[in-house]
Amino acid sequence: MEIPYIFTPRKDTGMCNSKIAIWLFLASEVMLFGGFFSSYVYLRLGADYPWPERALPVMPGLINTFVLIFSSVTVVFAWVSLKLRKWGMFQIYMAITVLCAAIFMGLKAIEYNVKFHHQAVRLSDYTILEGHLDHIEGITDKKGHEVEADVIHVKVNKLTFSTVRFHKPWVEEMIRQAEVNKATITLGSPLKIEGQEVPSGTALTVSLLNQIKKNHLASRSNNAEVRTEALRDAWVTEKAKVGNEGKQGWQMASNVNIDMDAIAGQLKVETSSIVFQVTPPTELWFPQRDIKEGATQSKLRDDTVIDGEMLESPVAFHNLDAIDFRYVVMKAEEKGIDPEKAIENTWLIKNNEEAREAWEWNKEQMVILQEELTKGYGLDKNGKPNREPTLTERYRIGWQDFAAKAEKVNKGHEAFNMKEQFMGPNYEHRAPAHTFPHLHIPRELVFLSGKFTPAWNTYYAIYFTMTFLHGLHVIGGAIVLSYYLFRGKKMYQTNPEWLANRVEVGGLFWHFVDLVWIFLFPILYLM
Amino acid sequence: MSAHAATADHSSHDHHDDHGHHHEPGFWSKYVFSTDHKMIGIQYGITAMLFLLFGFYLMMVMRWSIAYPHEPLPGWMDWVFTDNWKARWLQDGKVTGDTYNMFGAMHGTIMVFLGVVPLGFGAFGNYVTPLQIGAVDMAFPKLNMLSYWVYLLGGLIMIGSFFMESGSAKSGWTNYSPLAGFADGQIVNQWLAGQTQWLIGLVCLITSSLLGSVNFVTTIINLRARGMTWMRLPFFVWAMLVTGFLLLLAFPPLEAAGIMQLVDRVFHSSFFLPSGLFTKSDGLVQISGGGSPLLFQHLFWFLGHPEVYVLLLPAFACVAEIIPANTRRPMWGYKSMVYGVIVLGFLSFVVWAHHMYMTGMGPAISTWFQITTVLISIPSVVLLTALMISLWGGSIRFTPPMIWACAFIPMFGIGGLTGLPLAFNLADLHLHDTYYVIGHFHYVVAPGILFAFFGGVHHWYPKITGRYMSKTLNHLHFWPTLICMNTLFFPMLTQGMAGFHRRWYNGGDAYLAKALDSANVFGTTVREHIDLNILMSRSAWIMALFQIPFIVNLILSYVRGKKVESDNPWNATTLEWATPTPPGHGNFTFDVAVYRGPYEYSQPDSDKDYTPQWEKPKTDAPVIAEPAPVAHH
Repeated sequence: MEIPYIFTPRKDTGMCNSKIAIWLFLASEVMLFGGFFSSYVYLRLGADYPWPERALPVMPGLINTFVLIFSSVTVVFAWVSLKLRKWGMFQIYMAITVLCAAIFMGLKAIEYNVKFHHQAVRLSDYTILEGHLDHIEGITDKKGHEVEADVIHVKVNKLTFSTVRFHKPWVEEMIRQAEVNKATITLGSPLKIEGQEVPSGTALTVSLLNQIKKNHLASRSNNAEVRTEALRDAWVTEKAKVGNEGKQGWQMASNVNIDMDAIAGQLKVETSSIVFQVTPPTELWFPQRDIKEGATQSKLRDDTVIDGEMLESPVAFHNLDAIDFRYVVMKAEEKGIDPEKAIENTWLIKNNEEAREAWEWNKEQMVILQEELTKGYGLDKNGKPNREPTLTERYRIGWQDFAAKAEKVNKGHEAFNMKEQFMGPNYEHRAPAHTFPHLHIPRELVFLSGKFTPAWNTYYAIYFTMTFLHGLHVIGGAIVLSYYLFRGKKMYQTNPEWLANRVEVGGLFWHFVDLVWIFLFPILYLM
Repeated sequence: MSAHAATADHSSHDHHDDHGHHHEPGFWSKYVFSTDHKMIGIQYGITAMLFLLFGFYLMMVMRWSIAYPHEPLPGWMDWVFTDNWKARWLQDGKVTGDTYNMFGAMHGTIMVFLGVVPLGFGAFGNYVTPLQIGAVDMAFPKLNMLSYWVYLLGGLIMIGSFFMESGSAKSGWTNYSPLAGFADGQIVNQWLAGQTQWLIGLVCLITSSLLGSVNFVTTIINLRARGMTWMRLPFFVWAMLVTGFLLLLAFPPLEAAGIMQLVDRVFHSSFFLPSGLFTKSDGLVQISGGGSPLLFQHLFWFLGHPEVYVLLLPAFACVAEIIPANTRRPMWGYKSMVYGVIVLGFLSFVVWAHHMYMTGMGPAISTWFQITTVLISIPSVVLLTALMISLWGGSIRFTPPMIWACAFIPMFGIGGLTGLPLAFNLADLHLHDTYYVIGHFHYVVAPGILFAFFGGVHHWYPKITGRYMSKTLNHLHFWPTLICMNTLFFPMLTQGMAGFHRRWYNGGDAYLAKALDSANVFGTTVREHIDLNILMSRSAWIMALFQIPFIVNLILSYVRGKKVESDNPWNATTLEWATPTPPGHGNFTFDVAVYRGPYEYSQPDSDKDYTPQWEKPKTDAPVIAEPAPVAHH
């Protein structure tokens, strides 16, 4: 049995199987990315926060665009080489194509990495701050690195674990931290596990929790069975009562109860939560995403209840490299307040000298910029300038602005090198003095804090999702093309036309991947 | 020697494939990792039927909770669970709201994505399509195998989530955010939450159907036998072609939505979560917000509506094969059906938001979708009418498949007609999310689509195994099922109009206390209709009992069934009956050529009451478009 038209076209349709299949597949891919592009439009039009326009460094994206376009050309050359039966040429062009894919992914990795190390904080008054955090002295994570100043500190005296839900790595982390602080976490009250007494004061271990869990589950199963049987009996009794013939369940339900006294002897003790004492009360820290903090009682996401006073847990910026008031302005306009007033009323401007200076400097710069714009673009017939500074220029003080301020040049006239265009400011080189402010923000003012990840806002969410998915396509395509490059020799010798057909199909996919990027680049980097 | 004669007696001789080097594949490559479309079709069929059974079981438990919310699950239903599972998910043996939600979400998901689609498209499509177009196999046999395994993987991931600490998904089969974005939030490792597993499973299923649909469409376009022109394709193949396109183009936006929801859950983004979201446990939720729950609904229903036709078209496909073969007359309006199914395919992409009238999209958008929805009923009615008129003046043989096909027409008709009020947004204000909707689409899917598939199983079973299925057992299966289907789903329409909400886990019991309060009108309405729950639930359980004859029939007929007399036991005209029984690897033992349309029954120039597609025209008859041979590779 042989499938016809594997690489020779069928006369009446004019295509071979793989050609039809790849076009169908690409149609499906268009619908997939179409879904994402539509979502992008939908999210952007419906955004109730200032959409971060031109938030990404353009240079890496631009280079990547040319890299991909170039590789789209070389993949065609590779195909032509096969058609001309020039294996050596094919190898060269295909190698260049795959190399381009590697360059693309390398730049992508750098871009991602910069974002994953860049902190963003939204205050409850809608001020947005960006930068890099301080490391807290003397407090280390389990790898021995000092943790960044974005954790919740609690002076813990009691821990209550949920027997079925406790998260093992978190328990281990608490034990580790207590050991570092020379404190002990011990069982609050004695327990019985499978008939054996576990005295109070037994140290917390994961295996102890597991034992308690196992015991609890066994009792829970037993009790459920006993109660179910009792309820069934109760229903049988109720239905047999005189006068209940023909009644529906809901008419009798209120009379049906489990006879708890009768089954009391069969029930076993369930331990749905376990209390541990921390002696002496000691300071533990928790990543802020895992904890719902409270003044005297906090809760972890695995339902562990932490009793103890919450300590000062500020978010501390080592280098603050952007202050963004656009959200403040948007909210002020919604309420009909003067934006400048709203900005001057923010916690940041009121409490931080450096930020206030930067804001004042920025206002002066706007006057200068307006003069330049009027000079360049002139006035309209009503005497109003044709161009005004954008919202971003007016209300966002970015790292270039901090640099310009330190260098005493006007906004937009600062010099930065190629590396900075990729990686952001070179702090040491730029700032012997206070180019980038230090800042401590009390925890109660922080609404949202984290790195530039999908969690930061819907723009970054769709940026990461789309570019990651596109990256997967690049990797997938590169793997297929490398397969032709490194494993194609044998097929070239036996059936070069078939290999050419395969490369053509792979090349079509590669063009599609390129095309997607050509749409992604402007909507994510430029618009 | 005519091609027909060539196929008559190959049961007597070994059929080798074209190349002569015949080697018998081992057990694993023949039955498990098979690349033969027929074996893959059977794998799909068996797997899908097992999933259907499981989905049915979930529904039986739910029906207990609806009919007897105060009583523990009876022993004959709860033996499936482990003690630990029961203790976690049942309260004193009673079904809890969480458990009901879990079962409800998974019942829908399993029935749609793991049961009906794989059965219709995967099983029937795979087995029959290449045979009907005269192809040796699918265009990409290995891809076909991969498609099955990815489907199975997705299914197992979904079923596996029942046994996780979080339980399975419980936000309905539509998985709307923000509900679905927060469900199982207590699970620290979100990859291990049932709600996340649902998304992963779904991505697998979409990948599987993508591979499948590329394969189907390519096969139908490029592997048709010579002479098999477009208008000679059996309607079955047309339906599969359109289904393939629907799967190909409608599923990806759901994949996009699924990926975004996955990112929402695992990486805490806010694609579908608006600003200022409050929950009971967390207060103001600390997320970025700024997303849109409506976006998810748009993406979901952009798939969701074409999906309805993905379920439906294979059913039409089966019935369209069964009816001409059993009425012994050509199908009425073959061309209208073909054009109808194409129009249906196109229109199904522009009706999605009729599922969203209640979301506040605004009257302008609602009106647009109302118009397109009413429009799409035209091609649907064309299809159903053509099938119905095909019965007219036929010499009907009530064979087992025909009984099912005959029941399909009115049952699907009820399903379709009850959909009309839902298409109008004013009527939908009242009926939205009530049992009326449940009744409507279950009429379409259960006594509609599933009946067609039962018919399909009976129709092609002789080709697959060489034996007929038992008529007696079929009657024992058919009649109780028909009655129970109606006593199960018809009361839903009544209850729905009375305002019963589709997601009440206790069947409205919570409102009964208010019935005693004379001022509460709704409580009184509930009181008047709540006893229907018991009728419906009992129908469901009795129906389950009467599926046993089918299962027995399916298995027993394989060894005990009456043997077929020839390769074409129904004296049908399409190409699958020209193959040996069962067809070997490579399908055909002669050089296939097609000379005529698919349903030439009782032709005046023929001495039989059927003229197969592969039968050469008599020399004295005018030859219409003798197909030019196309060179094979």
